[in-house]
Amino acid sequence: MLELSCERHTLANGLRVNLASDRAVPVVGVNLWYGVGSRNEPEGLTGFAHLFEHMMFQGSENVPKNQHFELVERAGGSLNATTWFDRTNYFETVPAHYLELALWLESDRMGWMLPAMTQEKLDNQRDVVKNEKRWRYDNQPYGDWDERLQKLLYPPTHPYHHTVIGSMDDIDAATLADVKRFFETFYVPNNAVLTVCGDFEPARALALIERHFGEIPSGDEIPELPGEPDIALRVGASVYEEVEADVPLPRVYVGSRIPTFTDDDFQIAEVAGEVLASGRASRLYRSLVREQRVAKDIVGYVFPLGTGASMMVSWATGYPGVAPETLQRALLDELDGLTSVKPTETARAVARSETRLFGQLEQVGDRADLLSMYTHYFDDPLRLVGEVERLRSVTTEDVERFAADVLSPDNRVVLTYVPREAA
Amino acid sequence: MSRAHSAPPEPTDVRPFHVPEVLALETGDGLRIRAATGSRVPLASVVLAIDSGESGLPVERSGHAALTAAALQGGTKARSGAELAEALEGLGASLSVTGAWDATRVSLRVLADRLAEALDLFTEVVRSPSFPTEEVERVRNQRLAGIEQELAQPSSLADRSAARFFYRDGCAYARPRGGVRESVESFDPEAARQQFADRFGPEIGIAVAGDVDPGEFRDMIGARFGGWGSGRERTPAPAVEPRARERRVYVVSRPGAVQSEIRIGHPGVERSNPDYFPLRVFNATLGGTFTSRLNLNLREEHGFTYGVRSRFSFRRGRGPFVISTAVETAVTAAAVRETMKELEGLVADGPTADEVESVRDYMAGVFPIQMETTNQVAGQLASLLVYDLPDDYLASYRDYIRSVTPEAAAEAGRAHVHPEQVSIVVVGDADSVVPELEALGVGPVQVEEPA
Repeated sequence: MLELSCERHTLANGLRVNLASDRAVPVVGVNLWYGVGSRNEPEGLTGFAHLFEHMMFQGSENVPKNQHFELVERAGGSLNATTWFDRTNYFETVPAHYLELALWLESDRMGWMLPAMTQEKLDNQRDVVKNEKRWRYDNQPYGDWDERLQKLLYPPTHPYHHTVIGSMDDIDAATLADVKRFFETFYVPNNAVLTVCGDFEPARALALIERHFGEIPSGDEIPELPGEPDIALRVGASVYEEVEADVPLPRVYVGSRIPTFTDDDFQIAEVAGEVLASGRASRLYRSLVREQRVAKDIVGYVFPLGTGASMMVSWATGYPGVAPETLQRALLDELDGLTSVKPTETARAVARSETRLFGQLEQVGDRADLLSMYTHYFDDPLRLVGEVERLRSVTTEDVERFAADVLSPDNRVVLTYVPREAA
Repeated sequence: MSRAHSAPPEPTDVRPFHVPEVLALETGDGLRIRAATGSRVPLASVVLAIDSGESGLPVERSGHAALTAAALQGGTKARSGAELAEALEGLGASLSVTGAWDATRVSLRVLADRLAEALDLFTEVVRSPSFPTEEVERVRNQRLAGIEQELAQPSSLADRSAARFFYRDGCAYARPRGGVRESVESFDPEAARQQFADRFGPEIGIAVAGDVDPGEFRDMIGARFGGWGSGRERTPAPAVEPRARERRVYVVSRPGAVQSEIRIGHPGVERSNPDYFPLRVFNATLGGTFTSRLNLNLREEHGFTYGVRSRFSFRRGRGPFVISTAVETAVTAAAVRETMKELEGLVADGPTADEVESVRDYMAGVFPIQMETTNQVAGQLASLLVYDLPDDYLASYRDYIRSVTPEAAAEAGRAHVHPEQVSIVVVGDADSVVPELEALGVGPVQVEEPA
């Protein structure tokens, strides 16, 4: 049902290349995954991988400041980058005849970024990032939830103990020497996956990639992760934290450690997450929102992370006046109840995942990102093709067993926000 | 080591983009259909637009179109809301109903081979909702709690406040789209049934995109929507007035805030305005792209913000023109100063020929990227119906963009953007920002409570 082709190559410098040609629409997505994220940050440098991502847009030897954006926008393209726990991705979607421009821009900053770095640029982007942190987190109700939840879920020695955005102090402390060291250590072809997806001719694209990336020297072996990435799949208890804060409504978050994205059981976690918290027929919506009417809304995520243990998080936002402990009890009861699941619930979860997966394949940019992702985690881009079948193979018993074994009370952290009484 | 290839590569020959062909069809009962078919993936997206928009409601019923839309999935004559959700999601379908300013949109997305089954449920929802008391109450209480969240969340508080201070009290666009506390509290099953009876009908039409045969789609819709007639006229566009014609600063107090959310603007123009394309080009040079004047100044030069954007909300009536950003509290006045400097400079002198060329290339070039998904295409087709745009609009879109001259963009900016008439809305720590804003001398400063 899912038809995808993808040529694979590896350049002499170690750059892994995926070429997925699809000539339906004359656009092309160029996507780079660098195997570096917040998990690689040592103590004192939290938030640095993300700050560094910003620096990648500040120009390189042949690209003056702001030119990267300007050249892509003029070409009629869209572009961005994101930093996450295990990786940093950079991507642009451009009209097909601008493929070489996108490749050249990415190669210039992979190979020749440092000559363009200045203290002024670092200070400017430090301010931008600090405003991003204020905007996304510090000036938001519940804005510190992920920081609190990660601290509860992972010990200080684990790379997921701290958030991607990091701390203001660490962002303030970052220096040009850090930029140089980070670039030389992690932004090397042997730590990257390049995927091109869309309207292009593979032989020509490969020649262009050789021309522009081929002369970039390979880096040293990527250093081991700081701290202790190996971790038990259980927190070991139910851990509770209550926060009184300037929030309008009570909210309860529950997090659990789950198998990593590369584990055979990850699809079971995905289906369990769907049954619990995705859509109006999910357990949490039906019970907390529709029947008990204690929650205004519910949300749930299964994170596809690769280091030691990943996480599943769900939360419910209560109505004004609903006691936080009532909301908490209702949420935990549904987690407990997941040890008994109806086959129709599993089928619903699989059907929704299937539609979502097709939706992720519509845009060449998203498709390229998935191919990079499967290469990063599995060294196998076309593992993506089997995703639907793997989801379909999950049984109701699998979900029940998973709920009993993994989502059990000895593996939960519960974070409750209580609205501060008005003074 | 310096690299051999030091100049940006030239593009190769342009590969033609074929805009999806728009087919105009009708059911036997006269329900208009716009279809664009063909897709990379086996998905279908359907959007039914209904003449139940928020802008047609008097203030005492504001929010009732949005609430009726939300309550539509609360149950039908044949099944409860929970059963409906199970049936839809069991097909892997997603159905959303949104009561927007100009129309209510009912949007369905499903794998194409399950479209017929999903359309049965879609039709049930649209034609025979039952509005059970507890579901209507739930929707109302969700919105009331949502208002509390909007008041506590700085960016939504800023959006609400911009509407409040841009438009005269009582105008449709002066209030939040979901209605105000008093009008929401009066929403009950009776109100939902009234909105449904008054406004749900075939006046606008239905759009489909994806892996679907247009003729088969017409037959499927004809069979399900037979006899769905009304003979009503479309609701007229709302008349709106600005709150003031002189520049003023409104500080909405949020003690201790570490950032100020800033909104600067005034009522803009209606979607049918003939200056639509020149104005979009003008706006793109101001704050519609990463390399716009505002973003290069406030972000890339000064580091005041993570980002700044400007936009016209083109509605059937005069939706707002607004510049939006969030800055560290200490630089609030400086950010307002720089924003006004860029705004005044661009209106006075117009964008340069190079800027206009750049944004034209951008807007025409990204068009195919904005038409990649069946949801995007169906949404565009529905907009043709909602805004009475011609069927060749999408095919001509890039020509419209490319034909905008620097002079036309400059003239549209001068005609429709008035720096001396903007309201400057700042949601932040009043004690910190008021003295500097007063010293800036851009207009009288008044402090307001969140509402």
